[in-house]
Amino acid sequence: MSTMVASSLESLLRRRKPGYSLEAPFYTSGEIFEADLDIIFRRHWIYVGVEPDVPEPGDCMVVDIGTASVIIARDDDMGLRAFHNVCRHRGARLVLDEKTTVGNIVCRYHQWTYGLDGSLLFAEHMGPGFDTACHGLKKVHLRNVAGLIFICLAAEPPADIEDMARDLEPYIAPHDITNTKVVQQIDLVEEGNWKLTMENNRECYHCSVNHPELTIPLFAYGFGYAPDEVDDVGREQIARYDGLVRDLEARCEARGIGAREIDHLDDRVTGYRAQRLPIDQHGESQTMNTQVACKKLLGGLNDAKLGGLSVWTQPNSWHHFMSDHIVTFSVLPLSPERTLLRTKWLVHKDAVEGVDYDLRNLISVWAATNNQDGELVGYAQSGARSPAYEPGPYSVHTEMLVEKFTNWYVGRMSAHNAARAAGDGAR
Amino acid sequence: MLMTDAPVLEISAEDALASQVTRELPGWNPEIDDVLVCRQVRDETHDVRTFVFSAREPRLFRYKPGQFITLDLPIGGQVINRCYTISSAPTRGHLISITVKRVPGGVVSNWLHDTLKPGMELRAVGPLGDFTTIDHPAPKFLFLSGGSGITPLMSMARTYHDLAQDRDIVFVHSARSPADIIFRTELDLMARNLPRFSTAYVCETTDTERAWSGFRGRLTLPMLRLIAPDLEERTVFTCGPAPYMAAVRAMLAEAGFDMRRYHEESFDFAALAEAQPDAAAASAVVPVPPPAAVARTFRVEFAKTGRVIECDAGTSILSAARMAGMRLPSSCTKGLCGTCKSKLVAGTVDMKHGGGIRQREIDAGQVLLCCSKPTSDVVVDR
Repeated sequence: MSTMVASSLESLLRRRKPGYSLEAPFYTSGEIFEADLDIIFRRHWIYVGVEPDVPEPGDCMVVDIGTASVIIARDDDMGLRAFHNVCRHRGARLVLDEKTTVGNIVCRYHQWTYGLDGSLLFAEHMGPGFDTACHGLKKVHLRNVAGLIFICLAAEPPADIEDMARDLEPYIAPHDITNTKVVQQIDLVEEGNWKLTMENNRECYHCSVNHPELTIPLFAYGFGYAPDEVDDVGREQIARYDGLVRDLEARCEARGIGAREIDHLDDRVTGYRAQRLPIDQHGESQTMNTQVACKKLLGGLNDAKLGGLSVWTQPNSWHHFMSDHIVTFSVLPLSPERTLLRTKWLVHKDAVEGVDYDLRNLISVWAATNNQDGELVGYAQSGARSPAYEPGPYSVHTEMLVEKFTNWYVGRMSAHNAARAAGDGAR
Repeated sequence: MLMTDAPVLEISAEDALASQVTRELPGWNPEIDDVLVCRQVRDETHDVRTFVFSAREPRLFRYKPGQFITLDLPIGGQVINRCYTISSAPTRGHLISITVKRVPGGVVSNWLHDTLKPGMELRAVGPLGDFTTIDHPAPKFLFLSGGSGITPLMSMARTYHDLAQDRDIVFVHSARSPADIIFRTELDLMARNLPRFSTAYVCETTDTERAWSGFRGRLTLPMLRLIAPDLEERTVFTCGPAPYMAAVRAMLAEAGFDMRRYHEESFDFAALAEAQPDAAAASAVVPVPPPAAVARTFRVEFAKTGRVIECDAGTSILSAARMAGMRLPSSCTKGLCGTCKSKLVAGTVDMKHGGGIRQREIDAGQVLLCCSKPTSDVVVDR
């Protein structure tokens, strides 16, 4: 980052008005996008996938974060490891497919061969003075949080991932991600800055009008409302919703399953939030008929009516855990105005398609919702490009989580700039 | 006295010698001193010769006994790389030597025997290899060698001898006939000098020596138990043709030997360095006909190219294919990199891979040709 860009970014960050959306360059500028990659995506824990993405020894998954490409591999002791997807010979990309199975990791270019521990096992024609020990794969930090895989490209990753892991595990563990399988993955490219994808996710202000499928199981009011504007019907729904929340919390607490809201979205380096939300009608799952989409429940669960555990992490993920299936979302920036939304649907590993679940039914709500959200993000992006755009106010009743996302982002960027400035001063 | 140029030359040669033995020599740096000068060619047997080299400038060669070097040999207008285990010992560091058997029709071995003369220079890479007692110390060793597979074991034995290390070593050598025993007098000398160093020779035919008192036939487990009754207590180093080593492994398995104390040097890497017809033979000639069970030859058919070759049970399919002149994708030849992964359409193989293939792939009919030896006729989808 040039000093000029840094100072203009710094002044943009400093004059950010709390409670308002960000100024246009945050959504359009190539320089700020590079700063986002550098500061947010290369120095924080990034959610990239789930344990069953690489279920068996030798299974590899490749995730690209900006210009970085990372291999996540299952080793022979069932451990998970992450490496830069760069051959130590002349830098060629090692694993070319997003998902594959390898014996060892072998570069197709000149067959340099690495073990699943990253050590260089074989390199032909390098002569006697060549030290294989100096040419192992570069490691990337990996933290498995109850089956959710986070990686960090920094040399020293934020240590507070341990707080997140400790808090989230009691919520997520009952859904036993380890014993699930990914039955569907959809990569959707949204025509907007990654922050707009995240902001769109952090509110349901837009839900009732735009998400006819999602609002069957989900209560838009669950994400807040302006109390003065609610009519009698609305009040009735809210009262019912509050009753469902109390009922769900009691039901879950009796089973030792995490349900109550915990929120550290903007007071930690590694921000997160979790809450188990009631589901309407049958109360079982985020499906068109609110009943479970998969007959085989997850983990040792014996009650289908556990609502949906929503987990949010900064900067790039959200997740829905139901009794029968899990939907998990990873947001990866592609360019200033393009973003990859990677969605995976998971069911019990022993569930049989066509017998225990119907794939179309399983994915229908979120496949539709994602497409609708993708359009909305595109509209927001084209608006941010307009000369008439100026930051607008977030609703204090329904957009608190958007504010927390933006607040976290501005805080992290500012903290980094401050640390950098302190470092410059010392030099 | 008549003075000619000759005595002057002699004096200067003696001076050079004096500087070699009285001055501290720099160590051999294979990166810089990568050209070896042939200094002498010695006849070991009627068809085995030792080629002795030095660096261009006086150097002390440092290596682990049992390691090999790779030579660039300018044969027929092209450069052929070939690996040879070093037969000399690092305790005699002024020179380095390889010992090669002439193979009928063998391009490389015949070139060496017929062409390489003192004064000629060759490019060399090395030393390499981890087949060495240095890295696997033990109180008792059993060296098993077949044919010119004796060279790395000779290097180790010479090292212990020169350092007066009275190590308990039983050195067993299998040869076609007594006349084919390489380094015989030197082995006997070492046995005289070292109280706990003993030799045993196993010859298939003994016509060349009427008073032969050694073992006759091929090495067997009962024979091995006679030679080394404390077999189980020993650490075994084996080098020889692949069928010989396969037979040794079978014997040790039968004896219930702990294979963690078993080390072998394969000459397959030489065979795989390029598809030269005599590649395997150049490094390790097969003087001991392998047991019938090991020597079984199978038909290997390559479905895509339509080639059909023969491959004996002791040879990897890749090795056999390359010796037949086929160029299949491969790299490490150790079952690590998986470059030679192929579909086995029919037949069965014995595969000992190094992690280059997953059980799931094996279950799906994939094999690594570099470490798969046929156990039936096979068809490979290549």
